Amino acid sequence: MTASALNQPAQVKPVGSVFANLFWGSKFRAKATAGILILFIWQVGVSLFAPDFVATPIGVAIAFPGVITSNVFLTASKGTLFAVFQGLAIALVFGTVVGVAMGRMKVLDRSLNFYVGGFYTMPMIALLPLLTIWFGYGGDARLATVVFAAFFSIVINVRDGARSVPPEYLEVCKAYRAPARYVWFDITVFSSLPYLIAGFRLAAGRALVAAVIAEFFVSLQDGVGMFVLFNARNFNHDVAVVGVVALVAFGLMFEITMNWATRRFFPWYRRETKAD
Amino acid sequence: MDRVLTFVNSDRAYVRWGTIFLALLIGGVIWEIVGMQFNQAIMAPLIGDGADHPGTLPRLGRYLFDDEEYLLSLVQSIQLFATGFGLALAAALPFGIVLARLVMLRVALESYILMLYVTPMIALIPFILSILGFDFWPKVLVVYLFAFFPILYNTLEGARSVKPELLEVAKSFRSSELAIWTDILIPYTLPYALTGIRQAAGRALVGMVAAEFFLSTSGLGEELITASRNFDMAGVLATILVITGLGITFMRIAGIFEQKFSAWRGLDR
Repeated sequence: MTASALNQPAQVKPVGSVFANLFWGSKFRAKATAGILILFIWQVGVSLFAPDFVATPIGVAIAFPGVITSNVFLTASKGTLFAVFQGLAIALVFGTVVGVAMGRMKVLDRSLNFYVGGFYTMPMIALLPLLTIWFGYGGDARLATVVFAAFFSIVINVRDGARSVPPEYLEVCKAYRAPARYVWFDITVFSSLPYLIAGFRLAAGRALVAAVIAEFFVSLQDGVGMFVLFNARNFNHDVAVVGVVALVAFGLMFEITMNWATRRFFPWYRRETKAD
Repeated sequence: MDRVLTFVNSDRAYVRWGTIFLALLIGGVIWEIVGMQFNQAIMAPLIGDGADHPGTLPRLGRYLFDDEEYLLSLVQSIQLFATGFGLALAAALPFGIVLARLVMLRVALESYILMLYVTPMIALIPFILSILGFDFWPKVLVVYLFAFFPILYNTLEGARSVKPELLEVAKSFRSSELAIWTDILIPYTLPYALTGIRQAAGRALVGMVAAEFFLSTSGLGEELITASRNFDMAGVLATILVITGLGITFMRIAGIFEQKFSAWRGLDR
């Protein structure tokens, strides 16, 4: 504590609990006011200018508990989440192998760079017609879209990570004549973990979007995307908005879990991202 | 074995270019062989024989140089993209810079903007469809929504990087509002905004195709759907190549600007 801070008179705090402090802290108050204002404008604007079926905050709030507990919604979210996780797992395993190989061997990097970069920039939605013809109008097409969306961002990030392994580590390996498998899996994979995590985050966001697009395109019954589409078409907008809220919640939940996991397991993690 | 590995991994120019050339060649040959193996309703080869297995490259050439209707679709798509993206740019950039100036407003809106940034905009398409219907402007709205939030979010990130001391110094020297904008706010937020613009170009392209798929079909999306309904794989693959080419072009242009201004980011952030 510096001298000037000591000289200041003790702050007289109001007799508020932590909660009151939180509530009246200027940041929280501003945020809450803005939130209420946005909801108010939405409610009033819709009831003045839009047709009856358009969703309003109050309508969504009324519909919320019923939808959350309904069987249809639970099956839908289970389907989407399961596909996303399965696809991410596949993309993670193969993406890491390909990425590490590309980062470690210049031949592979030179020969695959063009393809990886090209597929990474390719909008996955353009591939949907192709994937539905190859994998049929079913869950497989959705899984393929998710894998496709997630794979290349993982490869690109892992490759960057594998390239930036500190050269001292590799020199020590060489000096002790370490077998290639140690160099690859014990040194390279671990030291490119931060990049892997960054790529995985990016991949997760893309995977969720990919799952929803595929559900729209294939009209897959057990998906949140289809849940939204179906209810929006039947002019149950209040119900459909709950689906959108669920999608946002999935994304945020994933972010929070990843944040917690990185802080818990990889405290040395630096934030290095390659944005999409 | 070791000697071979050392040779192919070496940095000599002819090895490097040879590898790249060989990889492209092998990729092309694999594509050709796979395409010739399967029925044309499942996969089209790269070059093809023109009869049973129409090739992708000849089709691409015909589309781009010898097919007015297709060019019209291409122009239609670019029009849609440009309108939506331009509107998003015109709205998000000034808004982001205003948020850099008005700190209270920024604090109040930050978390909501982040929330909308992570919302998969694709999920809003059904609502736009049933409220606004089939027209040109609903599709523009889709592209706009895809592009708006990445730009705004990244500009906001730049707004957060503006040092309050700078604004205070400007204030204590009675700097004019115009000078604050041109000398502090815009230079600080622009590099971040350009990152957002590059991101937004990629997303808006997805938005463009999605709008053309799920709202009234038109442009390249329509070409893609029509080709896939007719099981015309050469057409599907050629259109995918065109869309990818568009994406690469847009992102390259945005990337050039980003590079140009990235030095403004400053080292101490």
